Amino acid sequence: MSEQNYIYAPGSTIDGSFKCKVPMKGTRQLFIVDGKPQGSPSSLTVKYAQGERPSEALQVIGVRTSAVPGSLSFSTSYHFGQDSVGRLILCSHTFAEDSFETTENCSIVVEKGASVEVVLMQNEHNRAAHFLNMDVVVGENGSFKATFISLNGGHIENRINVKLEREGAYCELNGLYLADGTQNVSNIIKMEHLVPGCHSKQLFKGILDNNANSRFSGLIKVCPGAFKTEAYQENHNLLLTKGAVAISEPMLEIYADDVKCSHGATNGRLNEDELFYMRSRGISLKEASLLQQMAFAYSVLEKISTQELRERMMSLTEQRLRGEFSDCRKCCKNCC
Amino acid sequence: MSNTILKIRGLHASVGDKEILKGIDLEVKEGEVHAIMGPNGSGKSTLSSVLAGRDTFEVTSGSIEFNGKDIIGMTPEQRSVEGLFLGFQYPIEIPGVTNVNFMRTALNEHRKYKGLEPLNAAEFLKLMRQKMEIVEMNPSFSSRGVNVGFSGGEKKRNEIFQMAMLEPKLAILDETDSGLDVDALRIVATGVNKLKRPDTSTIVITHYQRLLDYIVPDIVHILYNGRIIHTAGKELALEVEQKGYDWLIK
Ligand SMILES: Nc1ncnc2c1ncn2[C@@H]1O[C@H](COP(=O)(O)OP(=O)(O)O)[C@@H](O)[C@H]1O
Ligand SMILES: [Mg+2]
Repeated sequence: MSEQNYIYAPGSTIDGSFKCKVPMKGTRQLFIVDGKPQGSPSSLTVKYAQGERPSEALQVIGVRTSAVPGSLSFSTSYHFGQDSVGRLILCSHTFAEDSFETTENCSIVVEKGASVEVVLMQNEHNRAAHFLNMDVVVGENGSFKATFISLNGGHIENRINVKLEREGAYCELNGLYLADGTQNVSNIIKMEHLVPGCHSKQLFKGILDNNANSRFSGLIKVCPGAFKTEAYQENHNLLLTKGAVAISEPMLEIYADDVKCSHGATNGRLNEDELFYMRSRGISLKEASLLQQMAFAYSVLEKISTQELRERMMSLTEQRLRGEFSDCRKCCKNCC
Repeated sequence: MSNTILKIRGLHASVGDKEILKGIDLEVKEGEVHAIMGPNGSGKSTLSSVLAGRDTFEVTSGSIEFNGKDIIGMTPEQRSVEGLFLGFQYPIEIPGVTNVNFMRTALNEHRKYKGLEPLNAAEFLKLMRQKMEIVEMNPSFSSRGVNVGFSGGEKKRNEIFQMAMLEPKLAILDETDSGLDVDALRIVATGVNKLKRPDTSTIVITHYQRLLDYIVPDIVHILYNGRIIHTAGKELALEVEQKGYDWLIK
């Protein structure tokens, strides 16, 4: 990875509104420009009716422009009715070099039997700060799966609170954060098992270069009576330099019997034996180290169910790790 | 007269304060097969690592000329594209990097060095399948992580497969036979022989005569305590097999 500061350029402007030049097929796009959802004066509310299963994914792209520098906050709310199936792609970008601070309060309700997959991608410039507060409630036999990809940003703070409220609720949170320079990324998770028979998994991985730092703070709380809970959590960091710092704070609070819970955290460096092996076959140190980083990131990216989106995220990750992001200034074709 | 491909003179190498190679002289000519034998801990793997450019070991004096070039300052990847190949005694597992991706990256670096265009996916897969056949490797291995979950024998076959892909001028095979059953040994040894060309050379490091029944050496060296203490023809391997090393050490 190399330190860089880049800005996404908007694809094209139609009637003063943003439009992606190369949208992913099978997605409907909606922009939130400087905190205002396009075509709507108020905050964004999205509802999936009972049993609704659109084939399209909804892509919500939050952008910051030089029109409104400084700090702002906005709210979004997604409601998935009973037995609905939804896919969300949530992106945040900065389109100018101003210093931005964005606070996004996002509420997600997954009703009984609904199944939701979210891929969230944060890709802002080095002096931008992004605060995401996400509250998720999952109902009976509901399923919520989200992959958080923090590709770039000066300061990123994701606070994710999940309540598994009814029996059989499932939640899977995966995260990949890449930081270099003096960037810092926090993921602060609270996973609450309120009733029996719910299942949660968390896998967060970070690659930190230069003097970047990260914090993973993950609480699994198993409330009284929430027996037959299964809750797992892992956080792994790959530190490319001596100056990079990763803080990992796993916490388990268990107030019920008959539960299966585990957590694990590791901080590692590039593996010298693997590097030498690859180099002995002619692969340069730079490529060998990149292959290792991609392999590290892969176990998170592979969780993204949709192939096209997964491949885009992999190529974005690779570009980011190669330090090739400045190319995106010209076009947003590689953004989701 | 054939050309010298490898010329080692007065090579000393250490790890920290510990000297492991204590003055090695070795000359390998084009087309030759050399065997290096010697008790465990003699420095055989250290010699191969030093030749491949592992920086754990510091070369404190001496010279290594490969193909007419001084390689001591070269990185491992430079040595590889120059045509030096090390078959590892203990091949490394690389979870998350598939064999395909690994070999495609490696081969394309070799091609780049030779001024050739990278192979496209179809050409590459075709070549890979051909080379896998040489060591009777199951094609399904190509999509698996490098050496991950491979048995000892599969790992060694994978080494020879990689050698087949990269077509080195000099292959150093560090105990490629150890841990192999008779079948695997035959496959690996036959693979090495199929790949042998009149202008390529091989250094086989082994404890056992049985590998040398397949890969017949021109010259056998005994390495002991960081030095080559004895050099002779192929009959030496048989003698060592029967009498052990003691008579040479004294
Ligand atoms: N990385 C290392 N650090 C310290 N000592 C080493 C290292 N590698 C090898 N040695 C030592 O060098 C000597 C030679 O080892 P090696 O080259 O593996 O021998 P061989 O391959 O002949 O069995 C042994 O005494 C071994 O313990
Ligand atoms: Mg050895």
